[in-house]
Amino acid sequence: MLRLRFHGRGGQGAKVASRVLGTAAFLDGYNAQDFPLYGAERRGAPITAFTRISRDDIMERGLVSDPDIVIVMDETLLSDPQAMPLSGLKKGGIVFVNTPLSPLETKEEYGIEDHVITLDITKVSLDMIGKSVLSSLAAGVASRIAGIGEEALKGALEKELSGIISDRDLLGKNTEAALYCYNTLVPVQVKTAETIREKENVITLPFETARVSSPAINATGNTPLRRTGNWRVFRPVWNYDICTRCMTCVSRCPEGCIRLNEDGYPYADYDNCKGCLVCAEECPVKAITKVREIHSRSEEGDQ
Amino acid sequence: MGKEMLTGNSAAAWGVRLAEVDYIPAYPITPQTEIIETIAKWISDGSMDASFVTMDSEHSMITAAGAASATGARTFTTTSSQGLLYGFEMIYTVAGWRVPLVMVNVSRGLSSPITLGPDHNDILAVRDSGFLQIHCETCQEVLDSVLMAYRLAEDERVLLPVMVNMDGFYLSFTREAVEIPDVEKVRSFLPEYRPEHAFFKAARPMAQGVAVLGGDYYSYFKYQMHLASQNALEIYKEVCDDFERIFGRKYEVIDEYMMEDAEYILVMTNSFSTLGKAAVKRAREDGVKAGLLRPRFLRPFPESEIKNALKGKKAVAVIDQNISVGKGGIIYSEMAGCLYNEIDRPLLLSFIGGLGGKNISQKEFEFIFEKMISASDTGIVEPPSLLYTESELEGITKLKEIAGKE
Repeated sequence: MLRLRFHGRGGQGAKVASRVLGTAAFLDGYNAQDFPLYGAERRGAPITAFTRISRDDIMERGLVSDPDIVIVMDETLLSDPQAMPLSGLKKGGIVFVNTPLSPLETKEEYGIEDHVITLDITKVSLDMIGKSVLSSLAAGVASRIAGIGEEALKGALEKELSGIISDRDLLGKNTEAALYCYNTLVPVQVKTAETIREKENVITLPFETARVSSPAINATGNTPLRRTGNWRVFRPVWNYDICTRCMTCVSRCPEGCIRLNEDGYPYADYDNCKGCLVCAEECPVKAITKVREIHSRSEEGDQ
Repeated sequence: MGKEMLTGNSAAAWGVRLAEVDYIPAYPITPQTEIIETIAKWISDGSMDASFVTMDSEHSMITAAGAASATGARTFTTTSSQGLLYGFEMIYTVAGWRVPLVMVNVSRGLSSPITLGPDHNDILAVRDSGFLQIHCETCQEVLDSVLMAYRLAEDERVLLPVMVNMDGFYLSFTREAVEIPDVEKVRSFLPEYRPEHAFFKAARPMAQGVAVLGGDYYSYFKYQMHLASQNALEIYKEVCDDFERIFGRKYEVIDEYMMEDAEYILVMTNSFSTLGKAAVKRAREDGVKAGLLRPRFLRPFPESEIKNALKGKKAVAVIDQNISVGKGGIIYSEMAGCLYNEIDRPLLLSFIGGLGGKNISQKEFEFIFEKMISASDTGIVEPPSLLYTESELEGITKLKEIAGKE
């Protein structure tokens, strides 16, 4: 059985990617199961989705904790302490990373020892679809790595996307981009051994007073220290030569993260800016441009 | 129509569509929302002909569903977790109205703390209401059970509402291949609902669930509900036979997996039973004569089938995906009650696992089999225990440290 885990951010299309792959495997004659894990999350938050593909009956349910293949749709997730895309990856497993970096650079950048495959699918999406929506592209990548046939992938894209995209032209572009990704990657053999599970002791849970055992606990995901600056595809950048200091951007920012400097010019708190670019849209003199965000550790100091 | 990849939620929606339901009052709650979204979409695009009304709460929703059902309309509604609790008062009320409403509950753990993951404290909270309860393991079973639920609910010998239960996430959002039955075949299995006494009419005003103000009357009505519920077990066999004849899929009140020569039995319900079955298979490879029994009905409780299936077995471990605070596992208590008077009864062990959707690992299943074997060797049954591992305790300890609790 092949177990895949997709890591993306809410809105990027991890759920749809896992569905397209599930359907592609199903159309290719396999038993398949796919499953997204989300609930209260919103756009930009780390999301996971899973697909299981097997010739035999699938006697598993729920999240995949020991994947053969990990698809990382947003490379900033690799350094996210909560998302942990590589956790449980089997020996011999494959990591796909959406990045402009080469596999070797990616391995060095993020300290990955497993087999890494890379492709800048965000760029492919911007070039071929015109926006950064990665579901069909990630499905194309995953289908190639999982060894699913091209016809099955095509069929699955049609089936899954026609329900959510009514524009035939856009649907065509998605299919084209997915097939481009599929054909750009060199086929690989996934050779993983079944994981040997470490001994887990079932224990007697000790009694603890309500003072320590009541559910008023802040999860690490909710602390103010958790920055969201790495959610962006584009960042807003101000040209102070044109800016009239009208403050429109300040008042329109839905996150309230644009402030004024001593001279009255606006600047963004990039730790909390999610890159929605409402500011650029609203700027009456077009003083704000969008700059593609290339995330890598070497640039972290810049954020 | 052939097989399609469907989530448990869309399988439920397909069941409702194929049952040609007339009226659906709705109120969304995670992880159930997709069911009503799907139905709403079908109604708006004309592929389903029914009245759809969004309500202000689950309390109103269940009231509306009960009232519509009493007029003779085939009615469906669905909720989950806290939503079910919000409608709790009306659950008892409409069951007492004896209306053949079908409701899907998508199981999710109850607050607090709040979670979205599944366990069965929601559906078991309404265990004693009079609703029949069918618990499903697969997406296919969800679809099929909705169809069978209407047959059962509308049978004059039953006339009680039915809840079909599926786990949130593990079924609700999980897609697997599901056979969508042919609409003509469904019509021959489940004809149009023609109640012999569709009593609730505008032309003939009357009150539902009147005050009886007397224990003797009240006792009578309540015990009638009990008898009707018990009837359902026999009638369900007829329904299953018909279903198998028409669709080729066989269901029973209990699902038995590798039970024939088994000595050590897991008792589980719902979708985690799949994991239990995988554990049984592995235990068999290690030479343990393992088996699994999955009650599909919890109300009515299939006592005689369970007694028969467990006759002469060495040990039985009940894995409760629920906790009755101050008592322990609910199904364990039910099983103990069921087996108490049996002379040839197995040892009965109790485990609580999978609360809030917590995984039950292979190691934990192995732990359970070890406990069953040692209990049958020594005759000593250890007290009930929670399936919880060292690393999970480390995790919560760390979380509490972050919150400044030591």
